[in-house]
Amino acid sequence: MTDVPIQMQQGTANERFRSGSPLFDLLSRGGLAIAILAVLIYGSLASPVFFTAGNFVNVLTSMAIVGIVVVGMTFVLVVGGLADLSVPATIACGAILSLALQPVIGPVPAFAAAIALAGFCGLMSGLLIGYVGINPIVATLGVGTIVLGIVQAAVGGVIVYGTNPDTAALVKSRLFGIPAIVLIFMAVAVVGHFALSRSYWGRWTIATGGNYAAAEASAVPVRAVKAGAFVITGLCAGLSGALLGLTLQSARPLVGTGYEFSAITAVVVGGVSIMGGFGSVPRAIAGLVFVQLLTNVMVLQGVRTPVQGFALGLLIAIAVALDVALRRRAGGAL
Amino acid sequence: MSAVATALRMRGISKTFPGVKALSNVNLTVDFGRVHAIVGENGAGKSTLMKVLSGTYLPTTGTTDIAGVEVRMRKPADAQRLGIRMVHQELNLVPDLTVAENVYLGRMPRKWGLADKAKMVRDAAAILDELGAAIDPKARLGDLSISQQQLVEIAKAYAAGPRIIVLDEPTSSLSEHETAALFRILRKMKQEGIAIVYISHRLKEVLEIADDVTILRDGSMIDTRPADGITAAEMIRLMVGREVTNVFPKTPSEIGAPVLKVAGLGDGYNFRDVSFEVRAGEILGLTGLVGAGRTELARAVFGLARVTEGRVEIGGKPVAINSPAAAVRAGIAYVPEDRKDDGIVPSLSVRENISLPVLRKLSRFGRVSMSADRKLAESYTKDFSIVPPDPERRISLLSGGNQQKAVISKWLSTNPSVLILDEPTRGVDVGAKAEIHRIIGELVAGGMAVVMISSELSEVLGVCDRVVVMRDGHASAPVERAALSEARIMALATGEEAA
Repeated sequence: MTDVPIQMQQGTANERFRSGSPLFDLLSRGGLAIAILAVLIYGSLASPVFFTAGNFVNVLTSMAIVGIVVVGMTFVLVVGGLADLSVPATIACGAILSLALQPVIGPVPAFAAAIALAGFCGLMSGLLIGYVGINPIVATLGVGTIVLGIVQAAVGGVIVYGTNPDTAALVKSRLFGIPAIVLIFMAVAVVGHFALSRSYWGRWTIATGGNYAAAEASAVPVRAVKAGAFVITGLCAGLSGALLGLTLQSARPLVGTGYEFSAITAVVVGGVSIMGGFGSVPRAIAGLVFVQLLTNVMVLQGVRTPVQGFALGLLIAIAVALDVALRRRAGGAL
Repeated sequence: MSAVATALRMRGISKTFPGVKALSNVNLTVDFGRVHAIVGENGAGKSTLMKVLSGTYLPTTGTTDIAGVEVRMRKPADAQRLGIRMVHQELNLVPDLTVAENVYLGRMPRKWGLADKAKMVRDAAAILDELGAAIDPKARLGDLSISQQQLVEIAKAYAAGPRIIVLDEPTSSLSEHETAALFRILRKMKQEGIAIVYISHRLKEVLEIADDVTILRDGSMIDTRPADGITAAEMIRLMVGREVTNVFPKTPSEIGAPVLKVAGLGDGYNFRDVSFEVRAGEILGLTGLVGAGRTELARAVFGLARVTEGRVEIGGKPVAINSPAAAVRAGIAYVPEDRKDDGIVPSLSVRENISLPVLRKLSRFGRVSMSADRKLAESYTKDFSIVPPDPERRISLLSGGNQQKAVISKWLSTNPSVLILDEPTRGVDVGAKAEIHRIIGELVAGGMAVVMISSELSEVLGVCDRVVVMRDGHASAPVERAALSEARIMALATGEEAA
């Protein structure tokens, strides 16, 4: 930023240090809110079903499972860990174990064990990435493949069914008309948000993603912080998988396929930088809301599946291009 | 060369960015066969002016003539075609290619449509030889030292047969010895009639090499003068618009007991058997040629690199320092050499940068106390007059000098007993430099022990109480202030005087 003069009086400091134009500020801050509003308006006009409580509960419910993963994935992107591709495996781990262990140790311990094991998978990825220094894409793909293999072998490649219908009822129950699963998602989001924005661990996460060497030189335990992001994602995916298993009362090893991309899409569309160092949970969730509403409108309008995929792919490309452009705009240093 | 004596004439150049007028009505005339220095504080508009000259920016108003012909440069390739070559502060080289391949990057000699490697190596060897640089054209660039890479960058510009060469802070990574070698090269280019635009903070060097000097301040041209009739003090006055009385004020301080003791420290490669001690209230200078192992030593003392031999003692007790966190616990702080790479987290605010090493202490049950965080940052922004005085400003938007003050603040927040500063004033302007020296002076007056690594001899001589000179990984015995002279330090650094 050698172009910005430093010798100046306090009165003029503010205007001279401003990074961009008002339009640029509005777009970078409120672009997503405007986009969500646009989809809401379009959806309400185009479909009579769209703006109904029933439809919104549907959207929320389908959002909740992937939303919990989004919270974890936000940490991975912010810490500069690119992406966690072991999510399908950790979701399967959560879903299958929470059902399969029920007859053995009871529903609550089974639920907890499923999440803990998924967290352990995240720890494996995290150690490989943070301490050994393996590329996150390769490490999580490897760990994911191994875990999925073990899970498949353990259940013999078949579908596992639930044995305790009460658990299904509990997950499907509603409080003030809101499904329990949505409430759990909201709780995870709130905790995740405060952890990232208010705790020292969260600040460390942002600093590590923003400049690894400087964070290390500032006595931040960068390796542990990096590994931690993958543990958090593992725990989130495990919880998400366990809830999914209980909802469906059945789980196959491939139950989690595609969730990693849905989660990454949401986080990236939310404007969290894929290069790390910048982002928040509310942003990622705003991205998720937008993607979910858009998908919902497309489904209601009868848009064919391949076209939906095309639209979402385009959205990711635009979001990443915007991220790069905004960085350049910010002087290449953000 | 050309019959026209004027290589470059820029008239009425202005450049406006949203919210900032970076240049206003700047005139610059550079003749063939002369070195024209451009000086000014950080943010005075030097870089912007050079970006206009190199075709990166299109000026808002103004005209540029090259050899008497008005030109309009829309992209760097246009400027290159007109014979303008830039040597940037950040080197634009490819580490994995050879020296020769870098010199001819983008315009390799061809034979039957293929790169003619033999000719390329021959030509590169000839160019390097002509410049007096002892570098193997077949060596991998990444294996060279930074100063050798700098020479390759200059050879690359020279090989293109330029009419105008622009050098941006070419000596910032060179020791004084290597700077002398660079100046020999520049004088040779000058004799060949090349016009040289030379940007530097180092006024002594400017006076040594330049024929003309243009001073910029706040985006405006203050004056152009022949270098013969101007002094460093006068240049500083024109740059800052006020008189800076003492560039290196030395605050007297009481020297106490040894705080940090390094005994026989070595990493088996960059430095070995290094011993020295720093006392409370003392500034110990650590100097030497670039590559002598100073930074590696400092990083090792701070736990950023491993050691294989020796020990570190704090207050008489040996401490095991295997991580920066351990160093912070032991009371050691380190302001690194490379601000951009190791010093700041650009996406965070000044406040968030300052509190980074002490975040845990500011937290309860994992939650950072915002009030404590704010109070810390506000006190430092005020004490060190960081501009703008807004701790919420993203640190990347601050000038180099103010970023450096924030980095120093960050380390003082850990309440250290020893502060190691690695080239603390490199790339900062004169005003900020004096302020950083004032801050260091206050710290030692308060009883802190300071180790200052610096390549700038005048700074070392002006500020330090004792100086240790490093050469090839070995440290000299400390030289007392009374016995210090430039000649003595250079003799120790180059090995003319045995350590």
